[in-house]
Amino acid sequence: MKRYVQTIFLLFLLIGSAPILSSYMGAENGHVESKSIKFPYRQAGLTDRQAAAHILGRFTYGATPGQIDEVLKIGLEKWFEKQLDANQPDDSLNANLAQYEALSKDNKEIFNTYLDGGQIRRKAIKAGLIPQDSSGRIEYKERKEMIDSFMKANGYKPEGELIRQLINQKILRAAYSNNQLQEVMASFWYNHFNVSLTKNESIRFVPCYERDVIRANSLGKFGDLLLATAKSPAMLTYLDNFRSVASDNNNVNSEAGAKRLRELYAQQLRLGKLGDTSVLAKEIANKIKGFKNSQGLNENYAREIMELHTLGVDGGYTQTDVTNAAKVLTGWTIFPMNEEYGGTQIKKMIEKVGEDKLKEQGYVHDGDFMFAVNKHDKTEKVVLGNTFSAKGGYEEGLKLIDMLAHHKSTAHFICKKLAARFVSDNPPASLVDRMAQTFLDKDGDIRKVLLTMVNSPEFWSKQALREKIKSPFELTISTVRALNAKVTQPYQLANWINKMGERIYYYQAPTGFPDRAQYWINSGSLLNRMNFGLALASKRIPGVTFDLTALNNNHEPESAEAALRVYCKLLMPERNVEETVKRLIPLINDPEIHNKIDAAATKSDVSAATPPPASMTDDNMMMTTSNTDSKKTKEVLKEKLNRKKAPDYTITQLQANAGTNTMLSQVTGIIIGSPEFQRR
Amino acid sequence: MSTRRGFIKSTGALALFAAGLGGVPSFIARAANSNKILSPYKKNKKLVCIFQRGAMDGLMAVTPFTDEYLKAARPTLFMSAAKVSSSNPLIDLDGRFGLHPSMKAFEPLFREKRLGIVHAVGSPNNTRSHFDAQDYMESGTPFNKGTNTGWLNRAVGLLGHEAATPFQAVSITSSLPKSFYGDNASLAINNLQDFAIQMRGNPMAAHMAAKSFEDLYDQTSSSLLNKTGKESFEAVKMLQKADTKNYKPANGAVYPDNQIGNSLKQIAQLIKMDVGLEVAFTECGGWDTHYNQGTETGQFSRNVADLSNAITAFWTDLAAYQDEVTLMTMTEFGRTVKQNGTGGTDHGRGSCLFVLGNDVNGGIVHGNMPILAKENLEDGRDVPVTTDFRSVFSEVADKHLSINDDKVLFPEWDGKKIGVMRGY
Repeated sequence: MKRYVQTIFLLFLLIGSAPILSSYMGAENGHVESKSIKFPYRQAGLTDRQAAAHILGRFTYGATPGQIDEVLKIGLEKWFEKQLDANQPDDSLNANLAQYEALSKDNKEIFNTYLDGGQIRRKAIKAGLIPQDSSGRIEYKERKEMIDSFMKANGYKPEGELIRQLINQKILRAAYSNNQLQEVMASFWYNHFNVSLTKNESIRFVPCYERDVIRANSLGKFGDLLLATAKSPAMLTYLDNFRSVASDNNNVNSEAGAKRLRELYAQQLRLGKLGDTSVLAKEIANKIKGFKNSQGLNENYAREIMELHTLGVDGGYTQTDVTNAAKVLTGWTIFPMNEEYGGTQIKKMIEKVGEDKLKEQGYVHDGDFMFAVNKHDKTEKVVLGNTFSAKGGYEEGLKLIDMLAHHKSTAHFICKKLAARFVSDNPPASLVDRMAQTFLDKDGDIRKVLLTMVNSPEFWSKQALREKIKSPFELTISTVRALNAKVTQPYQLANWINKMGERIYYYQAPTGFPDRAQYWINSGSLLNRMNFGLALASKRIPGVTFDLTALNNNHEPESAEAALRVYCKLLMPERNVEETVKRLIPLINDPEIHNKIDAAATKSDVSAATPPPASMTDDNMMMTTSNTDSKKTKEVLKEKLNRKKAPDYTITQLQANAGTNTMLSQVTGIIIGSPEFQRR
Repeated sequence: MSTRRGFIKSTGALALFAAGLGGVPSFIARAANSNKILSPYKKNKKLVCIFQRGAMDGLMAVTPFTDEYLKAARPTLFMSAAKVSSSNPLIDLDGRFGLHPSMKAFEPLFREKRLGIVHAVGSPNNTRSHFDAQDYMESGTPFNKGTNTGWLNRAVGLLGHEAATPFQAVSITSSLPKSFYGDNASLAINNLQDFAIQMRGNPMAAHMAAKSFEDLYDQTSSSLLNKTGKESFEAVKMLQKADTKNYKPANGAVYPDNQIGNSLKQIAQLIKMDVGLEVAFTECGGWDTHYNQGTETGQFSRNVADLSNAITAFWTDLAAYQDEVTLMTMTEFGRTVKQNGTGGTDHGRGSCLFVLGNDVNGGIVHGNMPILAKENLEDGRDVPVTTDFRSVFSEVADKHLSINDDKVLFPEWDGKKIGVMRGY
């Protein structure tokens, strides 16, 4: 009995000490120190190597060969601290990324450079280059040449090119960044504050959103991150807030007003007082159009900021809170990127009135963000029991966001999501509570919350080890990292990630992808995971190269069985692979199967075909996406093209490429597709 | 868990290997030894569900066009059934409700009394969150968030026989929908043709790889990977026997070349393949029309055209199977009666759904739609939910699939039905 009590007491000390320890960590100069910390993995029965493997599995996109030794050399705690600081040099990655010119541009430059087909056509028509209705009279080829030269002359580029660069850089960063935790967190927060490329209006704002809003704040304070998303053109468009304006000033009147105008217009027309071209007619038409398109309250963002970004759906808010929060946020919009969308008027107004005067009136202009005080709801509102005064203006929104960022429900909601990402799909409540306490105590400091998590016994528990299933993106990148592969055509990998069920940047709903094994694993996606392993290992994915023998210090395994043992250990370090090996040995040792595979390989040489330039096809497809409808058509086209593809490579080519035998790549493919490799 | 089909459990690696090489598939072998299992070739009833994600505006799909309050609330979105006001008016169904003109393909099915409509239907839980409302509708438990099974999965469990094949419950989606979560086996397939282990140019290597994977997934300690792996390989073997590539729809049916068209086409294929399909699911998006919803043309019009054309093609294609099939649509909630300031509608409550089949009490707009005066609206703004979605779902499941254990299908449900199927 006494012993029992002692154990409990020890346990209590152990669990209780984590937050106390973490509270000692200073954050001077933005650096989180963890000198005094020893992560509690020994207590969970883990060796140093196992612990290093676990921490790499959770905070990187997968261990690279030899990385466990690197971590052990500097110590787990120090390694984690460096990752939290996220200031490791990334020279070779950055040099590689320099090929993507969009990555260094700002929103305005991107907005005015990358255009979809419709926008380019309209500009060309406006410039008088092609006639308004040219479809019948100008040959397609001629028309295309005209558009191409028009684009070249003006420096315009297709929007698809922007998307391709965005996707490529995400893959390269995840695979090669030395600041792995920052990439993992950037991906986590992007998914949390999801903006989907399915929304046309948001597309051109996404690269800067990810770079300046998400990644830049991914290891900072939650409140800063939340505010940055709220003011970003990407979020303002995605969840419609940019067009949400006070309904009581405008909406009711505008609908009635539009109706009145229409009636007036019809009456004048009937009386024959009005030609279609008269000034009055145009003015009325414009006014009606304006009323229809832009005026009124839109609750979309106000709901999601509470439901998805902060409090959580059970966070204790009502429909009235949503409506009132929407009112608080009226007038939060985008500063025009060019003369379109009322840009000219705003520019004129600024020139006429002056920025200082406008500021006095309550306007705010901060980078791409604008608070348009004339669109703001000037009534008193109550959200979650807090009153927002009628004359609060921009400050009301700041107050609302600050309140949401520091709300108890938010702390719990965010920490549960973090724990689900890093510990297990259903994280223990004790862990979430402890993290939430740090969140509240430390002003939403994300690094301190993460430290509290890693300092907790739950992070290292048996229930957490290998418990997470890799998402398709994680599976793909962890494969690239485990094989030390060189990726020259990242888009090829994106196609596979898509096929396995994760269309990155395209998750339509503001929830982002669910972070649950059950979401990722179903019979269709599972087969595609296995097929991915086989395709990659046999070098049938263009633009991905690696050297299997180099991984094993240029030793070629002496037998298939030896290959299996060696590569299981190389690709899945610190895992118990005995069962995998035991299951596979009879198969790979079966001489009959060998013969059959070889025979089939020889036979298929006859049908040798040149590998199709799949990369070209896909990239070209991406270049020309314009509106949703043509996107759909292209998807279909793309699918048809894919189906028609000839066999990629013959086995002989495959062997030559691999620089080793078919059996080795076959074994590697099976390891990548194996259940053990799906876990992290 | 243990009630799940177990046809694979007792078979060792050798038997599976034999099956893969063209021997007797394990499920057939087991079927022969069990009288509980239906023959895969016996005609089963099939239920096909389509989830319209994003919350369809039921008031625009099936408009109570005589309602002056609606007309006033939607100055630019209201459509009329009068021919004089528009070249493309609503299709007057019964003097009160008008079908959106882009759904004209539905009109003959409605007149033939095979298509029924239920209006002001929805969830008793008044959440206006897409994600919650979809979850509730798919779990079938509108007040219990913790439910981790879907109503269609429970329905499969209540069919009264074990699955004869892995295709008993199929979702044509890239991931498994919540409706299918649970212990009964179900499949998610995005494209029937891709459903195999592929090694281009070397079928033997592919075969060996498939064999290896099958073994590995059979022994893994992760129950999710283990279970899913088994289902996958069983399905692969069955599909290998069918020529899915060269499918030709019957009776000149033309499926629209879009997501919902392709999904329903694949469901039709599975039905005709006689692989034991009993519950099918698919989904379509784009219904969250906050902005520029459009009227005769535009976003909403395109969506309902796609949906109704796909369903009609499906029905035509399956002319020989119509007695066996019932199709039902669903959406998480409806949209505000009043249009918003941006030419769209916000999240509301009641919407409408469509049920198609030979045992449907068709040609009627069921349910109870009040006059849309403010005092009749839920929270003063939305179509009140006067029919609980469970009363429709349970009635369809009961009449079509002979599932009458409502306590399991919809726990905490009173079992009320509204007569959307014949015989109530």
